[in-house]
Amino acid sequence: MGIQEVQNQSGRQTYQKKKKTGSAEGFQESLLQNLKYRDQEKQAVTAAEAEAKQGVTDSQIGVKAKAEKVGIGRIGAVPGIRMNAAAAQETLQAVEVRHMSYEDSDHVRIAVTEGYTLKGKREGGAEARVYVEAKYEDGRQEAYQVEMAKVSGQTEHVIERFALETMQEGEETYDFR
Amino acid sequence: MEQKWSYLVEEYRTMLYRIAFSNMKNPADAEDAVQEAFLRYMKEEKPIQNKEHEKAWLIRTTIHICLDILKSGWYQRTVPWNESFENAAKNIYLPYQVRDDETLEAVLRLPVHYRNAIYLFYYEDYSIHEIAGILNEKEGTIKTRLRRGREEVKKILTEGRP
Repeated sequence: MGIQEVQNQSGRQTYQKKKKTGSAEGFQESLLQNLKYRDQEKQAVTAAEAEAKQGVTDSQIGVKAKAEKVGIGRIGAVPGIRMNAAAAQETLQAVEVRHMSYEDSDHVRIAVTEGYTLKGKREGGAEARVYVEAKYEDGRQEAYQVEMAKVSGQTEHVIERFALETMQEGEETYDFR
Repeated sequence: MEQKWSYLVEEYRTMLYRIAFSNMKNPADAEDAVQEAFLRYMKEEKPIQNKEHEKAWLIRTTIHICLDILKSGWYQRTVPWNESFENAAKNIYLPYQVRDDETLEAVLRLPVHYRNAIYLFYYEDYSIHEIAGILNEKEGTIKTRLRRGREEVKKILTEGRP
């Protein structure tokens, strides 16, 4: 006679029933959880797609809107360049980078110790404007159109100050720091 | 054919000379390096795809020639009599007037890997992407060199040593 026959005459193993019940409940619970998470994931993907589509629309609207959103604000983070974004938005308009060479520029500032270069060119006859192109150590390039009529002579803003210098300089000048 | 070579020399001679000079710091060695770069270009068997590739090839070759000369046993045993960083900064003949020689002198004092990245980025106005192509490095490497190089320039300017 074996050990099993002594303990359980029916020959049925008690542990089997116990295990099966628990396992089924656990499975049902995890299935419900998975379904719940899958719904949440779907919602997140849909939201991300909508956001991406919105981003494409933003870029189609034009550089100006984009710059108002991110471009001008970011310049403040670069060492050496500090600006009041609210004040600058009135005089600065972000435009497309033209990749102007040093030779084509009227005024150049090379600030090695501060990690950026600025190139300026006078534009527009009666409505004096200055095109300023900035290149940063981290690879970013930004360009601005500065409305000179709105720029204060006492401005401390780096781009505006540089635009003023570009207007004042009669000939091609280069400023190295 | 002769026309092509003369055009090539006219187009890139000055720029290559400046790059060679920033490495060699004396006119004679810089001229030798540029001449050697043109000779290698003429002997090059693989066709150069386009103008940008041509320019990048010439700059890269010039820098390599300079580094080879600097590493050569003969060069390391000799001292050019007119070499000084002050002279080098004054004699570099950039296409624009330099108001502040001190920063350029500091750049010329940098170790070679920082110097080439900084010189090409600030003084020759190349983008990080272009410099990465010219120096055959990753863009991230160039960004790091620019950042560390700038810190070294600051050190040289404030403490007088790299």
